[in-house]
Order: sequence, then structure tokens, then C-alpha cells
Amino acid sequence: MKRLAAVVALLGLATTTAACSAGTDDSAGPGGGRIFTTIDASRPGLDASAPANPWNPKGNSFLGYNGMKLAWVKNDLTDPNQFYPGIAASWDIAPDNSSITLHIQPDAKWSDGKPVTAEDVRTSIGIAYTTGSTAFAITPGAAGTAADITIVNDKTVKITQDMKNPSVKFARGVLDNWVVPAHIWGSVLPATFWETLKTSRGEGAAADKARQEILAIGQKVLAFSPPKDVSAGPFTLERVNPGEALLVKNKYFYNAKNVAPTAVKFLNYNGNEQVWNYLSAGKLDYSGFVAAPTDVMNRIKKAPGSHVITGFSPVAVGMAFNQSKKPYDNVHVRRGLAYLIDRAQVTKVASPDGGTPSLTTSGIHQVPAKAWIGDELNRLDPYNHDVAKADAEFAEAGLKKQNGKWLLPDGKPWTVTMTAPSGFSDWVAAQENIKSQLIDAGVNAQVITVADYPVYLQGLSDGQYDVGFWLMALGPAPYDIFQRLYGASNGWTNVAGRVTHSAPGKGGNWMGGPEEIDVKGVGRVNPGELTAELNSASPEEAKPIMAKLAMASNQDLPAIQLWDYVNTTFTNTSRFTDWPPNDSDMLRLPAGVWMQLGMVKVKQ
Amino acid sequence: MTIIARRLVGHLARGIVMILVVATISFFIVRSIPGDPVAANVQKLIEQGMAPQAAEQATRVLYGFQPSGSLWHQYTDYMLGLLHFNLGQSVTHAGAPVTGVLLEAAKWTVLPVLAGTVLSFLVGIVMGVYAAIRRNGKLGDLLAISGSLLHGVPQYVLGLLLSAIFATLIPILPADGPVDILFDPGFNAGYLGSLVQHAVLPVATYALAAYGGWILAMKSSVVTVLGDDFILAAELRGMKRSIIFRYIARNAILPLFTILALSLGLLLGGAVFIERIFNYPGLGLLLIESITMRDYALMGGAFLLITASIIVANIVADLFYSVIDPRVRSGEEVSA
Repeated sequence: MKRLAAVVALLGLATTTAACSAGTDDSAGPGGGRIFTTIDASRPGLDASAPANPWNPKGNSFLGYNGMKLAWVKNDLTDPNQFYPGIAASWDIAPDNSSITLHIQPDAKWSDGKPVTAEDVRTSIGIAYTTGSTAFAITPGAAGTAADITIVNDKTVKITQDMKNPSVKFARGVLDNWVVPAHIWGSVLPATFWETLKTSRGEGAAADKARQEILAIGQKVLAFSPPKDVSAGPFTLERVNPGEALLVKNKYFYNAKNVAPTAVKFLNYNGNEQVWNYLSAGKLDYSGFVAAPTDVMNRIKKAPGSHVITGFSPVAVGMAFNQSKKPYDNVHVRRGLAYLIDRAQVTKVASPDGGTPSLTTSGIHQVPAKAWIGDELNRLDPYNHDVAKADAEFAEAGLKKQNGKWLLPDGKPWTVTMTAPSGFSDWVAAQENIKSQLIDAGVNAQVITVADYPVYLQGLSDGQYDVGFWLMALGPAPYDIFQRLYGASNGWTNVAGRVTHSAPGKGGNWMGGPEEIDVKGVGRVNPGELTAELNSASPEEAKPIMAKLAMASNQDLPAIQLWDYVNTTFTNTSRFTDWPPNDSDMLRLPAGVWMQLGMVKVKQ
Repeated sequence: MTIIARRLVGHLARGIVMILVVATISFFIVRSIPGDPVAANVQKLIEQGMAPQAAEQATRVLYGFQPSGSLWHQYTDYMLGLLHFNLGQSVTHAGAPVTGVLLEAAKWTVLPVLAGTVLSFLVGIVMGVYAAIRRNGKLGDLLAISGSLLHGVPQYVLGLLLSAIFATLIPILPADGPVDILFDPGFNAGYLGSLVQHAVLPVATYALAAYGGWILAMKSSVVTVLGDDFILAAELRGMKRSIIFRYIARNAILPLFTILALSLGLLLGGAVFIERIFNYPGLGLLLIESITMRDYALMGGAFLLITASIIVANIVADLFYSVIDPRVRSGEEVSA
């Protein structure tokens, strides 16, 4: 009994000690400096047993903190090749995009004191080939892949593009890659790796075998566990438990003197509500966007020091149609629905802080749309809420109105059935609102939620749904913007620069739109082929193509563009200052990158 | 061979067969869950800006950890692996052995749930006896009402309530994970104290949610025993009150021990809401994550672990009952 009492007393004492220690200053880091508290908004769920491996899906490598890339992609409206320096201090891109020469930061060192060299970059590129990366993919015919990597000197690397199927995004594909130390990671690539890679670029059985070998190395890369975190970033991983990860400042970082926090604490979360609680309690100094209902957003904004930074986010959400199903094969039905839906109301209900109602359906986010197609944007039909126009379109499609209800041309009942994955609360809310609007206008409608995103995507590709939501206008690269409407989901595939079209229901074509569209004032266009042209078009060449595609999507409506996303970043000014302003091109980069660039200072 | 040993051998044989049957069923069930995880991963990477072909390659590498070949071939490999406690590789964890991933998560489930179960059991049975003895008084009514109320409140409501009060309104206890990262892990006062401090709210939630069940069950059991002839006989013989109390408690607690053993079997089933509210990433959250990712090996492993723990708990409950209740033993001997 006495022993039990002693144990209880000891635990009580320990708890009190912990409570007192933790209670003194939650933001005091190791060495008495200021600790920066955040979450990894891109990946819920810390894994204490995962390695510090940036390729591992649960890896404890945090982008911008202890995970470094060659450069950091700016949130530019139209140019995908704008970057802030990372491991590469500067770069020269050939005018025809055929090569990029990287100049490594002269003072860059790993956290074990060794210098960052061209060999580190080459090894990292080799690893990128094994796991798949935009510029370093082994899939035959992939666009914008590298053909050769040459070490020019200890601090310079030249990468040339395979010009058989070039892409304007080549430089981005190269610079947006992780860099890891060759003296730690070199062992994952066998001595024959570069020979195997060369063989994999050919054709036939030997090339197939080489590709299989590279994929097998990729699995080893994913599972690789460095004995300790060796980073060239501003921080290194100290330890992780299931609730938190602690990173401490890397004194060897090339710009360490401008990095204010002495440590960074990542908090674990498994759902948005945990992040809401952290933000409401003022615990986080920074968080990337997490969708929140209006009342929660108001609560977050009321937290002491709470500050929201907004900017452009290059993505929109569309209500996409399966045109293999009647009556959605009829463009007048799609147009009628576009006139019936009040997009402002939908956005207000579904994404009041994270979105802006789309001006119209152009296939492009409204902010870059002005830069891409200029005045053409004003000539597009805005599809403003107009019941009379909707009625006229439905009548044109042959639909019949009886007792205030729209029926199919054969007199059978018509129900607009919309489907969304249950976890996507903004999509579900939007569909519920659209349902109400349609029912008020005499169009029967229903919303079906499916278990999760994998089920949703399978249902889409199997052609099960009439109408679903679809992310579109993925900028800033022109090809990426339109491939969401006129890519694989609508039948077009682009392999080795050759564009082919699959019939509806085949080859991933669930949208089932026509292969050619007669665009008013333009003539017949093949939107998939036009989209593929954007892959290698210069900005000036891209503009007229973008205009044609915007007109095609506006007229044909494979999807009704509902709202364009807004980037919302949460910060707290209680402990740190010097945050980027609204509309900064840094907003989609994590705060670790801001610190690298000399921002985020301790509040005095 | 003693009766208990015979029972143990019989139970173990049945248990192993049941585990193999469950392994077979869960193997086929997890693979029949609808959804295309490969397409979902490709889409996710494309939406993050990766080129489609590169996204397909990256997904092929990741899902390469998923066994391939015919379903029958996969099944035989799985069952052979199971004999060596090898449950395969997790896709979500990039090829990490499922057994290791499960064990890592299990400790964060067992800690709060075990502590909560034991605490609620101890408090529940003591209060249950008092509630029965004083069933005609105000204390008895109060205890019974508290049991009914807490039994009726869902676990997640209690969790949210405690979290809101003690972590937000009066922030004296943490609700953000199992331990503060600033303490060096090890056998030191700061770290251990932080562990205990972080466990208070999840353990209290579990204990409060389970307490109602124990007090009501114990009260009912005691009331039944109170009416037995041997209690009347003991009172007539003028036995001490404390001895009579022991008679009552010992007889009334028997059915509750069975429930306790079964509850302990459900330990590994996790307490998803508690794990989520208090950021204790245990087996419950791991199971949800594996379902989202369609990580078949991890899903199958988690289901198997949960089922096996229930089967083992059943066996332990049965054997334990034989030990603590002489009537069961003598019954066996007669029939033997």
C-alpha cells in the first residue's frame, strides 16, 4: 500500500513539474529562443515512426523547413516558370526551353557541415526518376522530361529537355524537386543506375525490364530511413511523437542569420476541427488553408493576434456533366442549368471565405483569365441568373413543363442527380443549395453522397453519375488549366506528342463530350488537340489558343464553373511579425520558405 | 490434466480456428470495398501540379507495396505470412511492416482505454454496491441517476465537453496529443509528468462514459444477491456487517468480471472519438486512415488484431470465471 502511495505521489509530482514547465511559456524553444508553432496543412496525421524522407508519404520531412527543393514555385498568375531561390541560387533557362543550368547556393551546407554539391543534385534527380516526377519520369512519351544531366562543376548542373515532346513547364519540373545529401542517400541508387535509366528510355523487352528495375528502386527510396535527418534547410528534425514534431534551427543553413525562430513545432491533426480549435485558441503561428464554416471562421478571427492573408489560388470548381447520359448530351439543357443556378448564392453557402463566384465559365480562373484572354472574357456569355433564359433553353432542348415541373422530352420525370464525396463539405453544401434552387425553379433535383473520394472517382470513371463536381482551371500553366476539361476525363490523351481521343466510356472518358465543337465566330475546333498544343506554346502563342478554348467551354459547357478558389492563409501576430501581404506570390508556399527568404520576425 | 488445462486447450484450439476464419473473411471483405485508390492518388498528385504520366508512375511505385497476382495467390501468401506473424506491408506507410505499424499505434490506444476501463470499473463497482445498499435513500437515488445519465451521454459528447471546459475555457489540461514534444523522452519527471497530464482528459472521458454501465450493472447484481437466502442466514446469525458486505460483493461481482474481461478485449477496437478529440493517434484513427487509402494489408491487420483480442478476451473471461467461481469448476467435474 505504501509503495502504491509512493508511486502515485511520484506521478503527481511529475505531473505538477510538467504542468509548471509547460505552463511557463509555450512558445519558448530550446535555448530560450522563440518557437514557431504550425501544422502541415498538406498532410494530416503525423507518424512518429516514419523516417525523415521527403518521398515517403508519411515522412517527417516538412517542405520548406527541413525539406529543401531546388527552388520555390511562385504563385504567379500566368507564368509557371517563376521561382524563389532554394538550393539553386540562380538558373539560366534556354530561350527554347531546351535546357536549364542550375547554380547552387555557394554557402549551402548540410546540417552535418558538409557542403551541398552538384553531386547531391544529380543523386536527388536520380532518386526523382525512381519515384516519378514531372521532369524526371520514365513513362515513355511523357511530356517535358529530361534527356540528360551534366555536372558542369562542383556547384553547377545542366539538365537538357527531351525535345521530342517538350513542355513549357520543363524548368518548373526540374526546379520543383527535393534535394537530399548524396553521402546519405547515394546508397539507394545501385552503381548501374544511370545505365539502367538510359536503357529504360528505349523500346522493347530490355527497356521494359529496366523500367521495372527503376520502379523497384523507387519502392526502396520510399521506404529508406536515414539514420538521422541531414538537412540543408533552415531546420532539422529533432524528434517526433504521435502528437507533435520538433525541428530545431540548422546553424549551417546558408541564410541562418535571417531565420528568426530557434525551433518549429508541428502539431498533429486528423480532421479540420482540430485545426479550428488550434486556431481559435491562438496556438498556431501559421496554417495553410483549412475549410471552415462561417461561424468557425468568425471564432478564429476573434482569437487574439489572429490574422488572415488572402490571395489568388489557381483552381476553380465546376459542376461537370456526363454527356453520355440524357438529357445532359443536349447543350441547351446544360445552358439552361447554367442560367438557373445563382453562383453567388452557391458560393456564399458553400465557400464564403475560400471562394469567389465565377464570372462565367471560361475554363480559366477569373484572375488570370483577364491576363490570358483580355477583352474576350467580356464577350463570353456570363450566364447570369435568369429564369426566362433557362426556360427558353429547356424548351429549345425539347423539355416540357407540366404543372410547374420540367419533364423530359418523352414526358417522363426529370431529376438532376448530383453526386459528391461525403468528406467534401463545401461540395456537399453547394450541391444542396443548387438542389434547392433547381426545385424552386421546377427542376426536380437530388444529392447523393458517396463514402469517400476513391469511391467517387471510381463512380465517375465508371460513368455512374449524371452530374458531379470537378476541380478545373488548375493554373498557372495553360495546358494544366484546360486539360481538366479537355484531357483524359473527356477522352483526350497526349502520349509522345500524339493526341488520341477515346470514345465516351472508354480510356477514362467519363465526360463524354463531342470530339469537335462548332464554336461561334471560330469554326470547328478539336479542343483536346488545342489543349495539347498549349504544352509547348510560348505565352504569346498560347493566348489565342486559350481564347478559343475559353469560347468553346463557354458555349459548350462541359462543366458549369461555379466558384474560383481564394487562397486563405492563417497567421497569428501575437508572437511573430513580418508576414507576406495579401495577394503575395509567396502565399502558396509554406512559412518555412518565408523564413528562408528573411521574413517572419520575432515580435519585440 | 486439470479441468482448467483441458478447457484452456479446447479454447485455444477453437480460438486459433476462429482467428483463421476471421483472417479469411477480412481478407476478402477489405478487397471488396468499392473505390479506386490508385485513381484517387493520381488525381491528388495532378491536382498538386504533377504531370499526369509522372503522377501515374509515382502512384505505381506507391501501390507497388500492395500485393499483386490472382486473389487466390494473394490469399495463400497472406495466410502463410500470418503463420509467421507477417501481415504484409503498408501502402500508407510506404512499405513498413503492418505488424510494426499496428504495434506502434496500439500503445496509444491501450494506455487511455485501459486506464479508463480500470478506473471506471473500480469506481463503478464500489458506487454500485452503495447504490444497491442505500437504494431507498437519497444517496442511492443520486448514484443511480448519475449512472443512468452518464450511461446515456455518448462518449464524443463527454469528450468535447471536457475538452471545451478544461482545455479551452479554463485551460488547465492539454488536449493536443499524448505528450509535450519539448520534454526529452525517457524516464524523467518532466516526460512522465507530461504523459500523465496529457492522459487526464482522455482517461476521464473514457472512465466517465463507462462508469454509468458499471454502476448500474453492479447495483442490479447486488440487489439480486441481497435477496439470496445465504445473506438472510448470515444476518440472522449475527455476522459482522463487513463480513456480510464481502459476501455480497464477492457474489455480485462475478458477472461483472466477465463483462470486464470482454471490455478489455475491446480495448484494441480503439476509441475513435477520444483519439480524435484528444489527438491520441491510436488504432481507431489508423483503421480509418487505412480505409481511406484502401491500404488492404493495414486494414486487414487492424481488423485481425481487434478480432483476435476479442477472441482472446473471451477465452480469458471463460477461464477466469472457472477460477473465481467454484460452482463452475464443480459443475465441470460432475459432468466430466
